[in-house]
Amino acid sequence: MTRKLTIILCILAAAMLVTGCPPKEEAEAPAEEPVKPAEPEQPAETDAAKTGVTDDTILVGQWSPQTGPAALWGAVARGTAAYFEMINAEGGIHGRKLKLLIRDDSYQAPKTKAAVMELAEKEGVFAFVGGVGTGPGMAVKDYLKEKKIPWIGPASGSSKWTEEFNRYLFSLYPTYTDEAKALVRYLLETAKKDKIAMLYQNDDYGKEGLEAARAELKKHGKELLAEVSVEMTDADLKSHVLKLKQAKPQAVILFVLPKHAAIAVGTAAKLKFKPLWVSTSTLSDAPLMHKITKGLWEGVVFDTFLELPDSDHPRVKKYREAYEKYGLKANPKEQWGLFFMAGFVFAEPFVEAVKKAGPDLDREKLVEALESLDKWDEGIGHNITFGPKRRQGQKAVFLATCKKGKAVKLTDWIEIE
Amino acid sequence: MFLQLIVMGLATGCLYALIALAMVIIYKTSEILNFSQGELAMVGAYIAFLLLDTLGLPFAVALPLTFLLSMALGALCELLFLQPARERARVIPLILLWAFTFFVLYLAGFVEPGVPVSLAVIVLVFAVWMTAETFSKRPLRKPTLLGLIIITLGLEMVLYGGAGGIWGAGQERLPSPVSDTAGFEVGQVYLSGLDLITFGGSVLIMLLLFLFFRYTRLGVAMKATAQNPLAARLMGIRPARIYSFTWALAALVGAFAGLLTASAQPLDNNLMMEPLLKGFAAAVLGGMHSLAGAVLGGCLLGVIESLVAGYLPDGTQYKSTVAFMIIILVLCIRPSGLLGRHFVKKV
Repeated sequence: MTRKLTIILCILAAAMLVTGCPPKEEAEAPAEEPVKPAEPEQPAETDAAKTGVTDDTILVGQWSPQTGPAALWGAVARGTAAYFEMINAEGGIHGRKLKLLIRDDSYQAPKTKAAVMELAEKEGVFAFVGGVGTGPGMAVKDYLKEKKIPWIGPASGSSKWTEEFNRYLFSLYPTYTDEAKALVRYLLETAKKDKIAMLYQNDDYGKEGLEAARAELKKHGKELLAEVSVEMTDADLKSHVLKLKQAKPQAVILFVLPKHAAIAVGTAAKLKFKPLWVSTSTLSDAPLMHKITKGLWEGVVFDTFLELPDSDHPRVKKYREAYEKYGLKANPKEQWGLFFMAGFVFAEPFVEAVKKAGPDLDREKLVEALESLDKWDEGIGHNITFGPKRRQGQKAVFLATCKKGKAVKLTDWIEIE
Repeated sequence: MFLQLIVMGLATGCLYALIALAMVIIYKTSEILNFSQGELAMVGAYIAFLLLDTLGLPFAVALPLTFLLSMALGALCELLFLQPARERARVIPLILLWAFTFFVLYLAGFVEPGVPVSLAVIVLVFAVWMTAETFSKRPLRKPTLLGLIIITLGLEMVLYGGAGGIWGAGQERLPSPVSDTAGFEVGQVYLSGLDLITFGGSVLIMLLLFLFFRYTRLGVAMKATAQNPLAARLMGIRPARIYSFTWALAALVGAFAGLLTASAQPLDNNLMMEPLLKGFAAAVLGGMHSLAGAVLGGCLLGVIESLVAGYLPDGTQYKSTVAFMIIILVLCIRPSGLLGRHFVKKV
């Protein structure tokens, strides 16, 4: 009897806990808008293609590591949320407001899959935008393809998104292969440094860069002097850097996490090893890198595929206002930087395509509108081009360097063929 | 190259040894494997960050304060999380625990400023607990040792999530009085000021711990409690206080390791994940009951890792694996080495 009472009370307590602390994950569009999931009375034929689109709302999903070791990249989803709020404040698109549903996957593929299935089947989202990580994305790629749900702008430069044609998957991020090519070409042709070593992360991200760098050097009849791998979990890179130093390179290419880049640059300074460090877009947040390396990031050359966070580009300025207006309101600790801005760049073509697709929106019209983007250059990326057979939207990067803690452009946009 | 690898390995090994020492101090006294040791050290580093960077205090004030606050945090964790489990009559720590949990949740922003809701939940949970306590016919069972170890795992998650919520996921840089990046050359070996602090500080801490356990009343009381809590109690020692103090001491050693780690790399809440695993491996390697063993284990592990990474082709890939192979090997050769001891009745 009393045991039952205890159990009931426990359940009550649990229920109160759940209802008392609402999950913060849903980035609401204007608060007065009631949530309307898919209209059930639509005819079955058009139902699937119109999922998530009602008279006044378009439901969009995104998974994101809001907690866990990759939480730094959680800012991407919050950036998209701020972008959508900005669009909604401007009146939405064809009378509809964009509503972004964010699900935390902690950068764990099984959780990503659960979150995506929930968003697709229970919430009924129209499309997915962004989504951080190669591993999490690979876990849901086939599912989304099978369900014919459009997925625009995976937040990862893996070439796996486009190596096999998928009508509903549109990738923006220039591949890591393209980035590695751009870096090697810069070193050989502009910086005139042909003794090159590489520090890479021992996973798909690092290995794709490694192979591309090897291939590009081979074209010029050269090879890497040293290839040193870093494990995701490593906290100490002393032996790694010593190995690099032994090879006496003039330049070292970094395909690692920001944390590892900071440790490597710091350890190298201690060992009086001063090569030219070049890095991928993953490490292109110059103010952040300057801060966490205590200034050692000065002079590092990196490539990037979106306008710099502190540039005078009109769209960047506009997005920065959206950050101040909505991003900071949602999360007072939000920082303006590369990751937050990435949330805008991955969603821009989606927004443009929704505009182009017209008021009678469905998934097929969205795909056609995306395919019609040709050298679209109104965002903070560069010359986004899709086509009936082309799913890699951007192939251009530019090089920049860190000067007094700020990013400074070194080159104009470079198209990598 | 060889000398450089050895010296670098020793520097890393000292960090492992410090974490191992912190774990051994608690294990020696209460046979609990404290998996929250790494996060306690991480929070220690964040406390230093708060004092030095956010509040802008000078090092001379901030560092002693960091150590004091870390000790208080260690003792508080023991008081709030382990004591209510160990001795169920302790109602006050339990209420404090809930108040503390909600305070952390509130700071981290998971609980809306609606304090009434939080209070209502606290009252309700307390009511449930009292109901269960009053009406259940048989007393609630005390947890086993394993139960207490699992509580430290839970504590690890509370500290990890709490730090993530309070300080965010962004990476920070801890101001440091000594540079890790300005190197100088001794013979053929490069060293930094931080390396010297690491070596000097570790040796000093090891020496002080040795003297403490050998010659002070409190140290002897800790050893007595470890050997026989009942007899210790009869001799006028309060085991509950000894346990709290043990955690404070371990947190102090851990905080030193946390500060050293955070001086050489960006600070986020993942700071101590890897060092904790390696420290644990070092403690197992050296023997969980021995302070000297922890130091030896840490240094050995650091040097082995450094040499493996430096000399094997692609060695940097297998460096971390070595730590875990060592755990497996030790457990193979001495299957009773790690947990077996507590089945042996101590006299």
